[in-house]
Order: sequence, then C-alpha cells, then structure tokens
Amino acid sequence: MSWQALALSVKLAAIVSAVLFVVGMPIAYWIASSRWRWRFLVEAVVALPLVLPPTVLGFYLLVAMGPRSPLGRLWLRAFGHTLSFTLEGLVLASLLYSLPFAVQPFAAAFRSVDRQLVNASATLGVSRLRTFARVIVPLSSAGIITGLVLSFAHTLGEFGVVLMVGGNIPGVTRTVSIDIYDQVQSLNYAAANQTALLLLAISFITLSVVYAVNRKVWVL
Amino acid sequence: MKVGTDGDAEAPAGNRALSVHIQKGFPGGFELAAELEAPAGITILFGRSGSGKTTILGCVAGLLAPDAGRIAVGSRVLFDHAQRLNVPVVRRNVGYVFQDLALFPHLTAEQNVAYGLGRLAAGERQHQVQAMLEQFRIAHLAGRKPAELSGGERQRVALARSLVIEPQVLLLDEPLAALDLPTQSQLIADLRRWNREHQIPILYVTHSQREVFALGERVVVLDAGKVLAQGTPQQVLRAPLQETVAQLAGFENIFDARVIALHPPHGTMTCRLEGSSVELEVPLAKAVVGEAARIAVNAGDILMAVERPRGLSARNVLAGRLVGLEQEGITVHARVDCGVVFQVKLTPTARESLALAVGREVWLVIKTYSCHLLESEPG
Amino acid sequence: MKNVRLGSLVLLILLVAKAAPAGEITVAAASDLTFALTEIAHGYEQKTGNRVKLAFGSSGNFFAQIQNGATFDVFFSADVEYPRKLAASGLAAAPTLWVYGTGRIVLWAPAGSPLNFGKLGMKALLDPSVQKIAIANPAHAPYGRAAKAALERFKLYDQVRDKLVLGENISQTAQFVASGNAQIGILALSLAVAPTLKDKGTYWEVPIDSYPPLEQAAVIPTAATDKALARAFLDYVRTPEARAILRQYGFQPPPEKP
Repeated sequence: MSWQALALSVKLAAIVSAVLFVVGMPIAYWIASSRWRWRFLVEAVVALPLVLPPTVLGFYLLVAMGPRSPLGRLWLRAFGHTLSFTLEGLVLASLLYSLPFAVQPFAAAFRSVDRQLVNASATLGVSRLRTFARVIVPLSSAGIITGLVLSFAHTLGEFGVVLMVGGNIPGVTRTVSIDIYDQVQSLNYAAANQTALLLLAISFITLSVVYAVNRKVWVL
Repeated sequence: MKVGTDGDAEAPAGNRALSVHIQKGFPGGFELAAELEAPAGITILFGRSGSGKTTILGCVAGLLAPDAGRIAVGSRVLFDHAQRLNVPVVRRNVGYVFQDLALFPHLTAEQNVAYGLGRLAAGERQHQVQAMLEQFRIAHLAGRKPAELSGGERQRVALARSLVIEPQVLLLDEPLAALDLPTQSQLIADLRRWNREHQIPILYVTHSQREVFALGERVVVLDAGKVLAQGTPQQVLRAPLQETVAQLAGFENIFDARVIALHPPHGTMTCRLEGSSVELEVPLAKAVVGEAARIAVNAGDILMAVERPRGLSARNVLAGRLVGLEQEGITVHARVDCGVVFQVKLTPTARESLALAVGREVWLVIKTYSCHLLESEPG
Repeated sequence: MKNVRLGSLVLLILLVAKAAPAGEITVAAASDLTFALTEIAHGYEQKTGNRVKLAFGSSGNFFAQIQNGATFDVFFSADVEYPRKLAASGLAAAPTLWVYGTGRIVLWAPAGSPLNFGKLGMKALLDPSVQKIAIANPAHAPYGRAAKAALERFKLYDQVRDKLVLGENISQTAQFVASGNAQIGILALSLAVAPTLKDKGTYWEVPIDSYPPLEQAAVIPTAATDKALARAFLDYVRTPEARAILRQYGFQPPPEKP
C-alpha cells in the first residue's frame, strides 16, 4: 500500500487548489466584468488546458523548465537546480493544467450575481474591491466551492503532466496515479487495485462532504 | 456628517437643485435628449416604459455615461462632457432605489441599511442605522433577511439604505409599483415626511397618475427620449397641450372635430365631432370656421345623469345610451354612445345608486373648460 | 473453343489476382526500435506491396494489451520475458518466438556537458555537476532493470539513488536527458545512435558484463488477424538486409542458433 504516494497526491492537490483560489479569483473577476473587445482571447487561453492533451502540456513544460529555455535558466540561477523533477515543478504544471477548472466556475458564479446589486453597492459609495468582497464573493460561494473542489479532484487524478515532468521520484513526484500505473506495468494488479480503490473512496468522501456542506442557496 | 464625498464641496444651502442636460444615443436608434431642472422636493418623471426615464436616472447616478451634456447638483458638477469630467459612481453621493430594490439577499435588514456607512466608527454607524430603522418603522425587522420581509417592508429597507448615507440627490424608480394601495399610501406619507425634513432633489419615476398628484410638486413628461412638458401637475396633466401628454395623462376621450361656429363675446366656439352630429362647446382658440381640431376630455371630468338635467351651468349636455360597464378595482369604466362613444369614470357607489345597466338611456354633462384643445403636433 | 475457355480462365485468374487487396498487418514494437523498424518496414512495403502499421511504445504496455485481447500481428518486445510469458500462457505461438537482438545500455550526456566519459567511465555519474540521472523505471522497463543492475554491479546504486529520475519507457528517459533536465542518463544504444540523438550528445558503452543480457525477442500472438502475413514479415526481418539495418541501429545480433 503506497501511503506515501497517496499523501503526496493529496498534498499536491491541496497546494494547487489553494494557489488557484488566490490566483484564479482575480482572473475570473476580470473575465466576468471586463468589457474589453479582445476579452475572448484571454478566455480561450484560460480554457486551453481543457483541450490540450496532458502529455503535450507536460512536454512543453519539460522543455520550458530545462536549462535551454530562458525561464529554466532563470530558475536555475536563482535556485541552483531546474524546476523539473521537483514538487514545485508539479505544482506549476498542475496550476496550468487545472486552471480552467477553477477559473470557469468562479467566473460563471461572479457573472450570475445580479448586476443591480453591484450597482446598488456603487451608489452607496462602496469601492469595487469592497463590493467584490462584501457582495460578489458571498453570493458566489457555491461556484467558488465548485471551482476549488474541481481543481482539487482534477489535480488528484492527474497523470499525463506529472508523468512528463515528474521523474517518478518516491516521496517527491511519485503521485498515486503514477504509482498505480507502475503497479499495472509491473503486473502487480492486486496492489494497483488496492491503491485505486482507496483513491476512489477518498475522492468520493471529499466530494460528498463538500457538496453536503454547500447546500445553502441565497434566494431573492 | 456627509459620507462618501471626499473633498467635494457641499452645495450652498440655497441652491441644491439638480440640473440635467444630456444626450445619449443607443444602438437600435433610441435617442435621449433631456433637459430638466429639479429643485429640492419631489419631481416626478412621468412617461410610458421605454421613454427614457430609467436612463436619466442611470446618468444622474453615474451608472451610465451620456454622450454629451452636463449634470450638476447646485454648484457641484457631476458630469460635463465638454470638460471631460465624470465623477465616478462611488463618489457621487446619489441615493438610488432601484425598481427591483436590489437588497443584498445575504444580509439582514439592519446590515443592508448599514452597508453604505462602512467608513463610520462602529458606534456612530449603529446610532444612525437605528435612527433610520425607527424612522421608517422597521426597527423590529432588523434581524430579518429580505426574503423574510413583505413587499412594503422591503421597500422601506431600500429607502432607509439609500437615505442613511445622506445623499444630495435621491432617485426612485417606480417604488410603489408592486405594492397594494394601503401600503402605497403609507409609503407616500413616509416619503413626504422625509422630504419635508431634508429637502433634497428627488427624481421619482412613475407611470401612475395617482402618484403624480399625490406626491409631485413638479412633473416632467417624457416620451421617446424627449421632454414634452415640465411644470406643476395641474399645468401639465390637467390641461395638457400636447396629444401625447394627453394620452399619457389618461385622457381617454380624444376626438377629431371641425370648428363650425365661433362665439368671441362668450369666449367659446362650437365644434362638431367628426362622423357624428355631436357638438361640443369648447374654449375659444385662434381658429377659423371649417378648421380641423383635436379635442380631449378626461373621463373623470364627465358627469352622468339618468334624467335629463336642467338648470346646469355646463354648456354640453349630451343624450346617449350606456353600451359598456366594467369595474376595475375602485373605478367603474362606462362607455356611452352619444353618436360618438365617450369613456366615463364613475365610482361604484354612483353605479349602484343610479342603478346603471347596459342599454340604459343616460345624459352626459361636460363643462366647456373640461374640453381641451390639443396642439397639432409636427409631422 | 478450348483455347477460348482456357484463355478466359487465365484472364479471370489474372484479373482476380490483380484485384486482390494488398495485405496489411499491425506491429507492436518497443520504442527503442523506432528508427530501425521504420526503415525495415519501409523496405518490406516497397518489396511486397503489403502495408505495415507500426505502433511504438513500452513493451510492458503492449504485453498487458495483448493479454487483454489486443490483436497485434507481431510483437517486438525489448525484453524476451514478455514473449516467453505469452507463449507459456498460450497467447502466442511458441515456435514463432525469435530473439532478434541483444540490447546494450550506454551512458549519454548532451553536447556541451563537461563530463569526459573516456576518462571517467561509470564514475561520471558521481561528478558534482550531475544533479539528476535519468534511467527507465526498473520496475517494469527492461532497459531500466539493466541500468539498475549495472549501477549495483559498480556499487554506485546507493550513492546515486537520490538523484535518479525514472522514465516510463526508454524514449521518455532519453527525453529527460536530451532536454537538459537530467544531466546524464543510462539509455539504449539503439537510441543513442539514432539520427535524432546522434549529434546531440556523446555516449559511452556500459561494460556488457555488468548487467544480464538484454535479450530482445519478437513473437506472433495467437490473436493476430493475419498470421500468414505476420510470418512473412518476420521472415523478412531475418533477411541479411534487414539484419544489417538492425545492427546499424545498435542491435547486436544474437549468437546464431543451430
């Protein structure tokens, strides 16, 4: 039973969800409220990871993280090693890969907030930022939670991208999905089954708890 | 203490009038070109839906930007296209009660009212909120969410929320539309009391004549983006000069007529209604015999009798037959065929005491001064 | 009359022969055979007019797929164990099992690397500039097992294990090093001499006695859709021209069996 891999996957998913919350909310707010005519380009870029095969994304990330690319060299100079084969590298890869799973539900929730409420807040002298915090966020809680849960679940099950940039290092980049794959490759079907079922159980419980707690809906 | 107006000069007490001169075009062809002055007190914006009333409110609040023009409260300019000045919404200090109220559903009544007072110290804020809640008789509902309040209670919360920030202008968009009559009356009373105490320009949008006469000190009539008339309710609605205003003001009876005789010494002239032999004596106007005219009579200005009346001052007594009788709320709408069909408004009491029924022979009495000659409109 | 009948019969046969569609087989092959087998298959297609569809990937993957009913016509495995297991369980015809070569492992570093293999040999792995060493996953990739065996034989495994990054198959392993993310890797010789990597770095053959021989075998699964055509292709791969190509790409021929 590869508890280490499971713990690593949960840790990765939690970190990525937390970061996507901080990074995804401003992006989603901009998408929901901007009237720039080229906004659709930003929306398309955010949605790209949905259609890119994870291995393609992983491959390009591997190249970008390597010492031959300007970004890779920057990181190398700052930290003495490349981003690849590290947990931080996985976090970055997962952020890109799971971005639309956070941003799209966030943006949809923000858009669904009655425009008049935002107008009312403005006429009462409350700044846009405060309006966001006091009106939009509370009324978007369902969508925000959905976005967090989706990015958590999506990262938990991630395989292709981790495969490409992870390097399968136990305790560092050997996530549970890689572990299950290894077991299958080694014809260790019994062990693979065990891990897979445990992953399924944990995911199901997490999702159920979140959806149960998130049943409140604002009426009017 | 004025909240939310950093650095803006307070308008001198003597001149706090709202001045609006704006143009705004919309895709699809609608053009708004409005010029109006609203002194302290209640100014009604009256017109059909789509005439631009809500657009004007949006421009004054700063939620919409006009294409050109100027908006000012006293000496404080909120918008001036020529000078590229456009004060952002959050700094205009304009209270706005939206048509659907826009109460924050996740906050209690008290939190809604306190919402705009974020910059005050907690104690001061609490004090002002409490005072406002009491003034609008909703203090006992402080802890309830909007979903738990009735229509009238929500309306009062919305008003309290906008007024607690001590705005320089108040905008109201059909505030009484969804309420029953007793609640409407109560709210009208609340508003008038507040108005007496504070005296700021209030723009009040409605398409109800009742509200015009109950509240308005001034009325501005709008149609298709243009101001048709401004003045007191009496001037504008009781004696409309323009047909559109007449229609808006509920003059149900508008007829084509031809001048057949002039009586200068009496100050009247006689017109025959087209397509009939009905003749009405109307106030004298600059006209020649044979000229066409449009005559408007308010249904509420016509008297009905079940016997031929005698000894009346009124010059127009017409015999006719009752061809329609409908009750709508507290108004009875009757239709009487005198050669042309007149609409007459009666009370239910009248209907009962006269034992009116369709087919009955009746007489209509119309004063000369109840007949309004409408200006011929261009085009 | 007889001549006409004979003539028309011949014509009919010729027409039928011409109208018969060209055969097609699907071949599953370990990724290290990418360049060698593509060239060989091309030659075969030119010669016979039959089509060969090639699928390259991890031997372990193909093994699992064939176990679950995949209908590849020929399976070129990087490890003889997989074909042997298939034959043992009746999923492949044992007589068709043919060891096509022995694989070799090499140390490989990208061009510009300061590592001097000639001087250091295996000790290059201990150089301070080496932060990451890429090998294929020993748990299921034959080249990975060989790499681990060699490391253990040279008593280097414990010293370098923290620096190991594992590729899912030998091609991915090569990708880790070629992109510079790993400073050195233990790769298949066949990949090191392949056109795409040949000029991009330097390699050094790991002493052949430090790891168990990497016998590489092909077999025809019983679920093959066209066994005759599969056999024909396999026969072609045994011809001297084809074997020369294999050798060229680093697949040493197995000792000839009687």
